[in-house]
Amino acid sequence: MLNKLRSFFTEFANIHRFLLRFWRELVTPPYEFKEIIRQCFEIGWKSLPLISVTGFIVGFVFTKQSRPSLEEFGATSWLPSLISIAIVRALAPLVTALIASGKIGSQVGAELSSMNVTEQIDAMEVSGTNPFKFLIVSRIIATTISIPILTFYVAGIGLLGGYLSLASKDDLSFLSFFTQVFETIGYQDLWAMVFRAVVFGFTIGAVSCYCGYYSSKGTEGVGKAANAAVVASMFLVFIEEIIIVQILAIIN
Amino acid sequence: MSKAENKRAVIVGLFVFIGLAILIAGIFILGSQQKKFTKTFEITTSFPDVAGLKVGSNVWFSGVKVGIIKNIHFKNLQDVEVVMTIEEKSAEYIRKDAITKLGSDGLIGNKIIVISGGSQNAPSIEANDFLRSAKAADMEAMMETLQLNNQNLAKITTDFVEISRGLVEGRGVVGSLLTDTALVSSLQQSLRSISQVMASANTATSNLVLLTDKLNSKKGLVHDLATDTAVFASLRSSAAQLQGVSQTANALMTNLNAASNKLNNKDNAIGTLINDPTVGNELREVVRNLNTSTAKLDQNMEALQSNFLLRGFFKKKEKETKKANQQALKDSIQ
Repeated sequence: MLNKLRSFFTEFANIHRFLLRFWRELVTPPYEFKEIIRQCFEIGWKSLPLISVTGFIVGFVFTKQSRPSLEEFGATSWLPSLISIAIVRALAPLVTALIASGKIGSQVGAELSSMNVTEQIDAMEVSGTNPFKFLIVSRIIATTISIPILTFYVAGIGLLGGYLSLASKDDLSFLSFFTQVFETIGYQDLWAMVFRAVVFGFTIGAVSCYCGYYSSKGTEGVGKAANAAVVASMFLVFIEEIIIVQILAIIN
Repeated sequence: MSKAENKRAVIVGLFVFIGLAILIAGIFILGSQQKKFTKTFEITTSFPDVAGLKVGSNVWFSGVKVGIIKNIHFKNLQDVEVVMTIEEKSAEYIRKDAITKLGSDGLIGNKIIVISGGSQNAPSIEANDFLRSAKAADMEAMMETLQLNNQNLAKITTDFVEISRGLVEGRGVVGSLLTDTALVSSLQQSLRSISQVMASANTATSNLVLLTDKLNSKKGLVHDLATDTAVFASLRSSAAQLQGVSQTANALMTNLNAASNKLNNKDNAIGTLINDPTVGNELREVVRNLNTSTAKLDQNMEALQSNFLLRGFFKKKEKETKKANQQALKDSIQ
């Protein structure tokens, strides 16, 4: 019991030390721009097809499913407003973060932990490269940039999916759909979406890197690290979602 | 920098650029819809009750969105001041004497402000102008009136129900007209008798015609009455005699009157007896005295009976009557 508690707090201390080191390495030169761009390519660009399809399906299905309940009131004309609020305020950042934590979390966790297991990280250190800066900082920066960008894609494509779903039933012009979409949301919704996406991106990057970087030795450790990266980042995304929603409610 | 790396950088740049472009497009569409980037100025109005109007709600003029609500705050105890931003390009069509109303974009939609009215020759609104407000068609007031209408309708229909029930049950004039067969037959009868009456009236008028004809011809009593002077003279003499008779009767009545007057006066015997109260009292006294003296005589007579000188006579008389009674009994039995 005491050992469990001790290991729990040791974990906290490790995370704290990890994050502190990240901020320190972030601001001190040298900067690994090339590596950051490479990671953006790997993380952002390569996730784009998967996330675009998911976003389109979410928008399309959500609209289709909401339609019957609004039809009961004869309020189908409010569907664009409903879709815009749902997608911009909640779905776009959340769906992006969940898909990304599945794809990027497992990818980064497995990559780093296998590097750790095969002692490539130690070799890197010996060869004079700062492995933390090269591996960790670049990946966390890449996720923090990529996931907001992916979120914007998802929002756009999700709204498009919603429009296509609506247009299949109603004779609604694209222009009037987007007019209604932007009538309901405000700047604060947009900024909240950006803020959420940045927080989620940073969380996914940090959690995945931490799990991979401090994985246990052996091939077993690779699987564990990949698993832990996905589970922990998804869980943390939801916790943060709750906290951000509460904070926004207080601000408004 | 290798070729592959270069290509990768371009792709990442494109990826980030398009993503940011989506965000920026969103921001600009939002801004243009909320009129953040068009030239505007502020005007104010005030309402006693804004009914849940929100900052950011639309302002309509002739059904066109011309601005948004910027601020809502209390002005004094009665009024809530609403600050609106109005587009400059629409402002020239809004007059200074226009009126603001609270409305909604749909039956249960958001509250909005509707600007309406304004005369042709009034100048256009300018920055910081104040527009008067008018009371909007209040949903609650409307519902109240509707409710009143409903109640009245309900009352009217209940009355109709009663009337129709009365008609069915044959109550009232109309009801019995509709349902009562006896009434119908009596109506028929009365119509029949009316026609009889009319027939007899007809004959009566024809008789009248005959009579007047006779009157006009020189025959009959009436004609004589109307025309013969001798009859008139004898009628006059008999009237004079009648007058004489009535004069005699009059004299008789005067005598009778005088006699009864004398009865009323006290200066003769009968008059005194009838009219004087003292005479009456004395008479009453006399009668009372007579009463007491007869009572006393009665006592005296009883005393006489029990006297020893006369007792024997009375006993004897008693026995005789007894004997006579028994004899009579015997006779009746036989």
